[in-house]
Amino acid sequence: MAVSAPQQATGQVATRNRREPKNVFQRAYRQWADYTYIMPALLAMFFVIAYPIAYTIYLSFYSTPTAGENVWNGLTNYTSIITAERFWMITQNTMYWTIVSTILAFIIGTAAALVAQREFIGRGLVRGIFLIPWVISHVATAYIWVWIFHSDYGLVSGMLMDLGIISSPLVILDSTTWAMPALILVNVWKDFPFIMIMMLAGLQTVPEHLLRAAKIDGASTWAQFRHVTLPHLKGVIIITLLLTIVMNLNHFTLPWIMTGGGPASSTHIWITEVYALAFRSLRFGIASAFSVILFIIMMSMAYFYVKAMTAGDDRRR
Amino acid sequence: MTEESRFTLPLGYRMSRRSVLRTAGLATAGLAGASLLAACADEDDDDGEDVAAEPETDDEEEEVEEEEEEEEEEEEEPDDDHDADEEDMTVDVSQWSPEYIEEIAGTMDFDTAEFCAGIVPLDYEGSVTFSYIGPTEASPQVTWDFDEEFWEAWAETYPGIPLEVGDSVQSHTYGDMLDQVRTAAFGNAAPNVARMPILWGVEFAARGMLEEINLEDFGFSESDFWPGALQSCMWEGRLYGIPTNNETMALIYNKQLFEDAGLDPDAPPETWDDVVEYSRIISEETGAHGFGMVARVNHGNTPFRFMPTLWAYGGSALDEAEDGPEYQESLLRSDGAKAALQAYYDMYVRDQSVPTGALTNDNTANTDLFIGGQLGMYIGHPAEYAAMVDRADNATGEEQELAQQVVDNIGYALIPEGPARRAVVFGGSNVHIFKDEFSDHDLDWDAARALIAFQCAPEWSIKMAWAGSNPGHLGGFRTHWMQERLDEIAFLEVASSMLPFGIPFPVIPEATEIMNITIPEMLQNVLTEQMTVDEAAEQAADEVEDIIGGREGY
Repeated sequence: MAVSAPQQATGQVATRNRREPKNVFQRAYRQWADYTYIMPALLAMFFVIAYPIAYTIYLSFYSTPTAGENVWNGLTNYTSIITAERFWMITQNTMYWTIVSTILAFIIGTAAALVAQREFIGRGLVRGIFLIPWVISHVATAYIWVWIFHSDYGLVSGMLMDLGIISSPLVILDSTTWAMPALILVNVWKDFPFIMIMMLAGLQTVPEHLLRAAKIDGASTWAQFRHVTLPHLKGVIIITLLLTIVMNLNHFTLPWIMTGGGPASSTHIWITEVYALAFRSLRFGIASAFSVILFIIMMSMAYFYVKAMTAGDDRRR
Repeated sequence: MTEESRFTLPLGYRMSRRSVLRTAGLATAGLAGASLLAACADEDDDDGEDVAAEPETDDEEEEVEEEEEEEEEEEEEPDDDHDADEEDMTVDVSQWSPEYIEEIAGTMDFDTAEFCAGIVPLDYEGSVTFSYIGPTEASPQVTWDFDEEFWEAWAETYPGIPLEVGDSVQSHTYGDMLDQVRTAAFGNAAPNVARMPILWGVEFAARGMLEEINLEDFGFSESDFWPGALQSCMWEGRLYGIPTNNETMALIYNKQLFEDAGLDPDAPPETWDDVVEYSRIISEETGAHGFGMVARVNHGNTPFRFMPTLWAYGGSALDEAEDGPEYQESLLRSDGAKAALQAYYDMYVRDQSVPTGALTNDNTANTDLFIGGQLGMYIGHPAEYAAMVDRADNATGEEQELAQQVVDNIGYALIPEGPARRAVVFGGSNVHIFKDEFSDHDLDWDAARALIAFQCAPEWSIKMAWAGSNPGHLGGFRTHWMQERLDEIAFLEVASSMLPFGIPFPVIPEATEIMNITIPEMLQNVLTEQMTVDEAAEQAADEVEDIIGGREGY
């Protein structure tokens, strides 16, 4: 429905004059219609998310033998996880995977965004090419890179041998030393377009007149980026990094398909371990406890994410 | 009575007189199973009852057959009846050979409808739900054809029990079925009847979700199946399933590479020590990989290929290779297990005679290397020959020439033996009935019986396993369909003759974890030199015992 300018003005005045209640319940009551609209979605989420979470927490306090009833074992699952040497080995793998993947993908994604933002002939084509890894499915990506890295008939080894650079095939995915770096390389290749898109969107919000003013004042390209562009991108950077970290912590497909956690567990990360515990070992109790620990870590990330997303909301209000 | 006259046996079996004589004289496939069963039952029977004699008294149709034979052939069988019966029921397992399989094929006709009518009347009206692993895009056309024919034949046989794929029948892939059925069962929405790969059922049996099975209710007896197959359906001494198909693998080798390496192309390795040596020679002399090792973690291909070696050297994950396994103690710390690990270490690390990608390869990679002429030997199914013929036909140029050369030089051999035994993993599928309270549909016991009798009887037991397996019902080996398979599928008789050497994985719910995680991790710890053979074996043995001991915590 079209609203005339005088009507809008009157509405704004009325809103400004209405006293905002301090009590959260009163504020919620005033917005009852909004809550009604989102109620179906909330209910659906409750059943498909809240119930599994609650049941997972419940199971995490039980031993769940394949034959027989579940047995309450208190915090045993949690303490045994935290005190196990394997947990810390897998945590180390997970940190390695997550931190290196995130940093490399961020650097490459930001660089790609800076390139893709500039005006040049073929910019659209370049942007499209950069997006290719992002649109390929994770499963296809995994199989393609397994073929590229394969120790016996892999593309990399084949090309290097044809060029006479190496005399025998490189051992990559079958090496406890090189398997994880190889997985990270694939993950970075897959993830950098996401960061590029986010940063590109952020870059387009940087006021052009500020950059021009800095240029007139004699600022170098780096100085413009450091003192004008970067401060404007702060929120986008934080959100992008948090999302990428959470995505990497939860990333299952690439490590599972490419190495299955091997060789000798060198590429097992939290999420693949939880899956193996639950659906390969049928140890639902311990897998639930592991999941709850991950849930707490993820939710702490979510806290910072929401905080970054809502930063400045109070000021705007 | 002319030679063409037939003995009409109860429950649909019809054998020509000539067939009866041949079969009786040679010891039938069913009897072959009976001897193994007898040996197994002797060990398993806690109360000391002589269950070895049970098939003799229970399997009345066999006895009738023998009595008739005695009357007809007094001159040929002059010994007293008792001795003859004893001899027929006590089967010489050594007869199970490629020649024996060929000899018994086509000696029996079978009428499925007649057989089923003896179980549940053909005009019975009822309903049942069913889940199974159906054909996929990767399946050969013959699998699709028989699957379609199966449902048509079912509709014709039992028009009052409608079954339709996508409605009351769910066709799964191998990769998704276990998770889906497990999820459904936890949600009390399992199918009434499910046909699942061997050993998946034990998890559900242990959870109390399956109905106990009495073979006679379905028209079968123990002597109709391989003892190993029935063992895979047991949990705590009770039967919870019926075998539908059974499979064993063989050693596939490239005769041309053998010749190029200076080995006799007609003398495949007889022992695992030979495999290690031949692998080294092939690798050194030809530059190709010797043996197709698979050591990927979390993948079923690994235990299916490593366990035969482990068992052959005298090791085992628990005591599954022994008579009357109790699954209480791990034999991974035994000298035999360490010798098997050492053999793998020698091939991968010392000789570097196997694919370097063994730690991440599944068996498909071996097939690729083999058809490319880059692999000397590997363990595979008979169906892989047909797959390689297809690939050779579809290749072009030089690749076609190379692939055709490989196809022309394929050899199949028994899986080598070791100091302790010759062994292979006993695979296949079983069919189970979920209890009413865990099912999505009220259990109609008669409809379930009809469906199981129909698919487990010789005809569909063999047709539904046409391309890649063998009939679960031993009677299937005697049918003309088996003869057709032998004519169609090259080297089928070699892989089938491994059946007596088949050892099922431990029939415990924890078997999946032990086989897909503990065993491959033990291998990887050795092959990556993270641990010595001794350390890896000891650690894996501790872990297995921890698992079966119902470990608490992580």
